[in-house]
Amino acid sequence: MEKNIYAYKCKRCGHLHYPYRTICKNCGQNDHNEFEIVPLAKKGKLLTFTHLYTLPADYETVKLTLGIVELDDGMRITGQLKMDEPKIGMKVKGEVEVVRQDEYNKYLGMVFYKI
Amino acid sequence: MRDVYVVGIGITSFTRLEYPLVEIAAYPGLMALRDSGLDKVDHLYVANMGGGRINTQTGLASALVDHLSLTPAGAETIENGPASGASAIKQGFIAVASGMHDVVMVIGAERMREVNNLEATDFVATLTHPHAEYIYGVTLPSLAGMFTRLYMEKYGVTSRHLGMVAVKNHANAMDNFYAHLHQPITLEGILDSPEAATNNPMVADPLRFFDCCPVSDGGSCVILATGDILKKLNKPMIRLAGIGQATDTHAIHERQEPTDLLAVREAARKSFEMAGVKPKDVDVAELHDAFTILEIVESEEVGFFKKGEGHIALEKGLTKRGGKIPINPSGGLKARGHPVGATGVAQAHEIVLQLRGEAEKRQVKNAKIGFTCNFGGFGNNVVCLTFIKEK
Amino acid sequence: MSVDLEKILRPVENPMPPFPAKFVTLASGDEMVIRQVERDEIPDILPYVEPLMHVERDFYNIVASRVYGELLAYYMYRVQDEYVLIAQIGTELAAIVNGRIVNQDIGMSYHTMALRRGLRIGAHAFAAKMEYHIDIMKQKEVLIVAESPIGFRRWMIEYNLEKRYHIQHELGGVPSWALTKELFDKARESLVVGRRPVPKELLDKAKASISPPSDPPTPPEDLLAATRSLYDTTGTALIDMRKKLGGK
Repeated sequence: MEKNIYAYKCKRCGHLHYPYRTICKNCGQNDHNEFEIVPLAKKGKLLTFTHLYTLPADYETVKLTLGIVELDDGMRITGQLKMDEPKIGMKVKGEVEVVRQDEYNKYLGMVFYKI
Repeated sequence: MRDVYVVGIGITSFTRLEYPLVEIAAYPGLMALRDSGLDKVDHLYVANMGGGRINTQTGLASALVDHLSLTPAGAETIENGPASGASAIKQGFIAVASGMHDVVMVIGAERMREVNNLEATDFVATLTHPHAEYIYGVTLPSLAGMFTRLYMEKYGVTSRHLGMVAVKNHANAMDNFYAHLHQPITLEGILDSPEAATNNPMVADPLRFFDCCPVSDGGSCVILATGDILKKLNKPMIRLAGIGQATDTHAIHERQEPTDLLAVREAARKSFEMAGVKPKDVDVAELHDAFTILEIVESEEVGFFKKGEGHIALEKGLTKRGGKIPINPSGGLKARGHPVGATGVAQAHEIVLQLRGEAEKRQVKNAKIGFTCNFGGFGNNVVCLTFIKEK
Repeated sequence: MSVDLEKILRPVENPMPPFPAKFVTLASGDEMVIRQVERDEIPDILPYVEPLMHVERDFYNIVASRVYGELLAYYMYRVQDEYVLIAQIGTELAAIVNGRIVNQDIGMSYHTMALRRGLRIGAHAFAAKMEYHIDIMKQKEVLIVAESPIGFRRWMIEYNLEKRYHIQHELGGVPSWALTKELFDKARESLVVGRRPVPKELLDKAKASISPPSDPPTPPEDLLAATRSLYDTTGTALIDMRKKLGGK
């Protein structure tokens, strides 16, 4: 089953939000549950990135590569990157995978690979 | 609204303090009372971010107001991430300006080194967006790293410029008795020498060890009061003339323009407007350099330099002590230290010292208008203060 | 008679190639020399280690106490194949690292103690030690343990050391970790730093004398503050007990 990260579309004006907001940023609509879920595009362009070496306690690796991607549908997302030499502007494709694990929980998020 | 003046200040050393959090917060309050000549206040505001999580002390203000024997005065703890200090000063201002209270004590304090470094980093990372950032292992340095990379790409800022900020602030802190780091560094040692990679390892590429502020404990206090009380106490007339605050999106990938810090721009604008001064009128400023890139960007966003030219001004030496607009004469967060809740108040403390003419070796000549910028989260909640010395 | 007894009590030393001195430029712009010391210089170093045995924070008390014992054992010929390297800024003592050779292939790292903080001096000293074992003495691996969380993070996590839990380390008999030649080669860029040869003046000055550290760790000033702290991970609460026992 394909996993997705979802954006939230205001039912009244159609504005897309990622991550979730209770009140629509565009039209101010605030009825409960008046957002539709829309899967985010998986392909996009790398906007910026960093290699992080001082990691939170949950991680056992030495280095973590994080980046912000501009997706083909115009939304942006923060995610982990798994590629050797990230470059600003490179084309990437995302997969939903486990990005963090503490004692009992696995957290799913977007991981980007080079196209 | 009445005019609000700073009548007393106090500060601890910023370092590792092996005292309970309440005592770290109390000491500057004691110093400020002595400085002002007062022996009680109407209300206490306390700025603190980690008390509950790191020090298992919630309700810090309630504990502190009794510890200082200020009961039955009211007290609140204010938490606004790294901008807690300036936010607390803002609340104190509102209380005095509105006529609700006449004398208010504002204390910022933090004891981060009660836990080890890993836990302190985790704690600060809780500021990030839980679903869009935290789950990826994002910490504040990584957000700063991504921001820095974009800034370097767009405006031509280099690691050398970042190193210059660190070297400048370390040099400034050598004359600051309460600073955390009294360690001069050189560009050769942190960037040029063959051993620079060990001296200055990468933390969040392209940010290195000496681009990030240390983890510190400390506390600072300012006492705000009306003009009448100030005159009675015969203290220098330092007025808190302008306050501006602005917020931005929580997740930084949602920022309109990823290289802009719009909250800083707007908060500074509001602060200057309220004080009735312009950026070029400012004589001395304390900006929030938790990461060296932030000093450069904030100097542009508040209006001292054009966007994208902050690093050029740095190269020309305009932000050194003795330059056109000295920034962070105290050493800034980089060398003075960054106990999260105390920083905003410590910035105000330094500006007040400068405007009073009591900053000794750090003194900026004829400082009449001072400015602070306290940066919360990663640019999502910023509070700017403008102080004016009156005759 | 006593001469024969001493011969039995002393370990038979195996030949060890000397550590060629090197120097690094620190973040402060100062130059630091890392060189090997022989037994004759140990008495000059011991007085600077001794005060740290009473600094009850950051594990200085246990590290300094053990280092004192190790240096003394080296001096008095009661340990097999130990080496001692020191780092100096000018003549000032900045760090001490030591270890010993278990056999041709395996080294046993003892301690890394920095006497000045904030300039990554410990990192330079540790790297020098690893270079000595693997590059210069051509060993296959070095067994390491950490007494403090800072040490653990810097070595075990950063260099991805292999677990050797079945081997009890000489420092307390705890499970060891190993830096193998492969791991060393992978991290070569960060482990083989520093320049050789050391400029003559710099080396002569360092060899001339060993002067006291200018800013060593000291016990905290307020002895009773720690007892008022609810959670005291810094170990300073012990000081109060010591006072009660009639100590300083």
